[in-house]
Amino acid sequence: MAGGHGEKHHRPSKKHKSSSSSAKITESVDDESAYYGEEFDDDNNRDGDREGKKMDFTKLELKPDHLNRPLWACADGRIFLETFSSLYKQAYDFLIAIAEPVCRPESMHEYNLTPHSLYAAVSVGLETETIISVLNKLSKTKLPKEMIDFIYASTSNYGKVKLVLKKNRYFVESPFPEVLKTLLRDEVISRARLSSEGSVGTDSFTISKAIGEVEGTHDELLNGIELAAAEEKETHAFEVDPAQVENVKQRCLPNALNYPMLEEYDFRNDTVNADLNMELKPQAQPRPYQEKSLSKMFGNGRARSGIIVLPCGAGKSLVGVSAACRIRKSCLCLATNAVSVDQWAFQFSLWSTIREDQICRFTSDSKERFRGNAGVVVTTYNMVAFGGKRSEESEKIIEEIRNREWGLLLMDEVHVVPAHMFRKVISITKSHCKLGLTATLVREDDRITDLNFLIGPKLYEANWLDLVKGGFIANVQCAEVWCPMTKEFFAEYLRKENSKKKQALYVMNPNKFRACEFLIRFHEQQRGDKIIVFADNLFALTEYAMKLRKPMIYGATSHQERTRILHAFKNSPDVNTVFLSKVGDNSIDIPEANVIIQISSHAGSRRQEAQRLGRILRAKGKHQDRMAGGKEEYNAFFYSLVSTDTQEMYYSTKRQQFLIDQGYSFKIITSLPPADSGSDLSYHTRDDQLQLLGKVLNAGDDMVGLEQLDEDTDDIALIKARRTMRSMSHMSGADGMAYMEFSKGKYPGQGHLKSIKPKDPTKRHSLFKKRFG
Amino acid sequence: MPQVKIIAKNFMDMVAALPALKLDKLYDNTFICEAVLRSLPPLAKKYVLQLLYIDEPVTAKSMEDWVLTDGVSKHRVAIDRLIQLRVFLEITDRKKETSYRLNPKFQGNLQHYIAHGGVLPRESMSSSITVRLPTAEELDSYALEQWESFLLQLISSSQPEKTTSFSSSMMKIFQQGLLSLRDKEAPKLTESGFQFLLMDTNAQLWYIIREYIINSEVRGVDSADLISFLLELSFHVTGQAYNASTLNEIQRSAINDLAELGLIKLQQGRKDNWFIPTKLATNLSVSLSDSSSRKQGFVVVETNFRLYAYSTSKLHCEILRLFARVEYQLPNLIVGAITKESLYTAFENGITSEQIISFLQQNAHPRVCDRAAPSVPENVTDQIRLWESDLNRVEVTPANFYDEFPSKDVFEGACDYARDNGGLLWEDSKRMRLVVKAEIHTLMRDYLHRQK
Repeated sequence: MAGGHGEKHHRPSKKHKSSSSSAKITESVDDESAYYGEEFDDDNNRDGDREGKKMDFTKLELKPDHLNRPLWACADGRIFLETFSSLYKQAYDFLIAIAEPVCRPESMHEYNLTPHSLYAAVSVGLETETIISVLNKLSKTKLPKEMIDFIYASTSNYGKVKLVLKKNRYFVESPFPEVLKTLLRDEVISRARLSSEGSVGTDSFTISKAIGEVEGTHDELLNGIELAAAEEKETHAFEVDPAQVENVKQRCLPNALNYPMLEEYDFRNDTVNADLNMELKPQAQPRPYQEKSLSKMFGNGRARSGIIVLPCGAGKSLVGVSAACRIRKSCLCLATNAVSVDQWAFQFSLWSTIREDQICRFTSDSKERFRGNAGVVVTTYNMVAFGGKRSEESEKIIEEIRNREWGLLLMDEVHVVPAHMFRKVISITKSHCKLGLTATLVREDDRITDLNFLIGPKLYEANWLDLVKGGFIANVQCAEVWCPMTKEFFAEYLRKENSKKKQALYVMNPNKFRACEFLIRFHEQQRGDKIIVFADNLFALTEYAMKLRKPMIYGATSHQERTRILHAFKNSPDVNTVFLSKVGDNSIDIPEANVIIQISSHAGSRRQEAQRLGRILRAKGKHQDRMAGGKEEYNAFFYSLVSTDTQEMYYSTKRQQFLIDQGYSFKIITSLPPADSGSDLSYHTRDDQLQLLGKVLNAGDDMVGLEQLDEDTDDIALIKARRTMRSMSHMSGADGMAYMEFSKGKYPGQGHLKSIKPKDPTKRHSLFKKRFG
Repeated sequence: MPQVKIIAKNFMDMVAALPALKLDKLYDNTFICEAVLRSLPPLAKKYVLQLLYIDEPVTAKSMEDWVLTDGVSKHRVAIDRLIQLRVFLEITDRKKETSYRLNPKFQGNLQHYIAHGGVLPRESMSSSITVRLPTAEELDSYALEQWESFLLQLISSSQPEKTTSFSSSMMKIFQQGLLSLRDKEAPKLTESGFQFLLMDTNAQLWYIIREYIINSEVRGVDSADLISFLLELSFHVTGQAYNASTLNEIQRSAINDLAELGLIKLQQGRKDNWFIPTKLATNLSVSLSDSSSRKQGFVVVETNFRLYAYSTSKLHCEILRLFARVEYQLPNLIVGAITKESLYTAFENGITSEQIISFLQQNAHPRVCDRAAPSVPENVTDQIRLWESDLNRVEVTPANFYDEFPSKDVFEGACDYARDNGGLLWEDSKRMRLVVKAEIHTLMRDYLHRQK
């Protein structure tokens, strides 16, 4: 007989998350992401398919001086790096350029060599031979033959061909004339070729001298290994018809000719597009890692397209603004929502010398147009990709965006944007260089592959732990608080009839509420901290916020209301806690907060967990205090409250995976509030608890399970929903359609649900009140 | 299954435990006398030397006068030890007064030893004959290798790589208590088996040698002969070659076994067979408590539950596999992960979370020992403990289920009866069902019969 717990919960191990959708995804995905079908690699697959079998590489030959070398390389592409090696810094820079980090805790890092990572390596100017020779120098053992073969196989075609937009003419460039000949054998490409002297069909290419890499970082590595490309190299090129560029690119992709083209922008020699007079202000001092990421982008004097990965709070916007300042051409900046559009516009004027009237915001509320022939436009993905009818005014602006040749397309939070929207945005806007910024290159849906070819390879990825040690981001103490379900709640949780209320039941678990209340009190009163409480479940959000008398922001909260609450949170000593639904996951900038309490979340989303943590990563206090060994060891706190024995435990483990891989550790707290206290907290008596239980059970399924509707937490979807609810007349009428189409794709019947809801926000709000009040 | 309590006791404890007759026979050998003398506590040594040339018994009382009050306990320990080892013979006279005298054999041998100096048990072979002797390092690594491969075989009899000279019955004896050997089941490491693996080499070696000696009678070998040979061996010089023809029958067969354990290296000379004692042999009689040669740690555990072991040893790999999932094996690194599944397997085999944690902590790599943070991340140790306590949350109680009660009254009566007998586990009055502890089932049945 069990002592009361009928359900044996299955909590997976910390390291072992279920990953069905991993290695072999070839068949299930559409063409664009199937380039690397077989070898597709995501950090997901490392557990699943290695289960049970172990890799025995004991036969590898150790070099006699292996103690001085920092890494081991395995035949399957896995690389282990000792962080305490004297060559760590150099090895890290090198590995991050050629391999995908798997986990980066304190002493030992793991990396995976993948076709994508090698593509990225090649595109920042590393050559096959260099990759192999440096890897060999750093390796404690002789390199496994399989790895060498793999590098050759993966890189043989990569980076051989570049697409260069020079003086507004598109050139296909390569140092290898034979490669160009191969390309020209393709019908599409040969048709797209423009012949300079009109002599169609000749094999002669334009030959020019290319400037070698001017990258210093690798040169110091291991006494005089020449990492950078040769100083000067002959390049061969032929011109292609601008109208045919997309087709040519398409033909070069790995599923066709397999010579993926690198895009580079020779902005210094671009005389056609007007220069934008902007420079970084003197006080804008990029930090070392920001410099490094920029050097990867501008390594050879041209601008490369690609993605830069920096943790939240580490200063992504400065990197974006700096990139724009180097290119000094018109820049289109895409953000996920109106709030972050405002923030980006502010960042531009904060860091650069650009004139105010050269920055314009294009959102549903503000439709500014810049004067002069160059400028910065900040808008949302939605505004650009929107397919329906637009107002006359926005039609004009979008026309301008379409027709302009952008020097830089700056894309924020690239991980949240659906691939189809990307494709649309990229096809609409003509840009010389694309820079994607993100904090977490994880997507639950494995669409990360798309980014590689839509934007470009990952140019740089910072190590979270190193930034913490350097004091650049806050040192966060993460904790998972275990809240046992009360007997009554657990009994209801196990009942089949309540399957739709499961989430509400474990979120509303009185013990969780009490833990939350305890933590809020502790941090407000003992430490004077500013606290964000996250709840995905709207029912819970409302209940918690109302019971504790704290302000809350969710999807339907109006812009003015949000601004008012956030202002009070920032400035008022009386408002120290704010409740946020998942609208707060991305982009709402609340630098004051240093404590997060998460009471409910979106299933097992690793990205959401990381994004939420990112809300408190902005370093606070004096720099020296934050350095390793400084006064305050931890200055930020992240609590994740989970009800034990419920699904939440399983999700929680999965969610933490990304952060754990970055070297964060979750401390488990099992008794909150402490046993000897808590009588003054809510729901202390059984009667109160039962009352709460009744409330949860009496609420309609649709209410307690509301969050389920917004399954894809991508902010985009939310914004759309919000806008729909706000006012239809404001936007063109088709916006709602777009939303429905989006939701239908994944959750049939959902559009219907949404559409029967009153569109008027005030009305909707009162409905809420009636339901819960 | 017999549980063997593993205590790394001193070799001398074993000598002391021998019957008087055998012990006296042992003292025929000068080396034994010397070895015993060396093993004594300092005060006992002093007493032996003080009484060495006194042939008369000395009264216990007068000896007590020698010590200051705060040295009484040390005095007691010394005397006890001397009596245990029969170095002192206790004589009680008519007046019931106790006095001590040295064991005459022991005394004679030591007097001779002092007067004429020590002689090696046997001469090492001259370097002109033994042209290529292994270097000290070679010998050490040989010893370690032998020992590890023996241990590997001990814990995983399923994968025989090299067959030992030990008979399978001997192996079984060693495994007894370390492995649970059930028929048709792969042998599993028991709790004490795991503890055994976590001990340092000296302690492990002692455990095996002890078993070897205790069970020598089964093989028709006198344990005293074996002990005396092992003690004698410890007076040989490490790394020197000795002629095997100087050994008697028993010793020659023992030497093959010892070679298996890495105590001795056998080498084929041109004419004769040689044996070369390793460090393991010469250290055997040294008190095992002071394991000054603590092995250097090799394990790094990260906050993400990954485990990196700087080791080339297959044995380490096997040990890690007991509680972790080994993922990669590199020439000098083992990479694994501590998972819930791997830990559950360990717990099932009787390994406790504390044992695992202390193993990880004791073997922590110097890199992680030196830093301020705990050598094994707190979140990992916490989680290991939590996983273990998770398993203990569910308590299994044998019970019986009753239903189909004829009436509410009978049901309630039954509930009360069960409650009064402290056996009511669960009741559902609506559907008239109840669960009662199995131990009161007969009582319950009788009660229900009576109700009819």
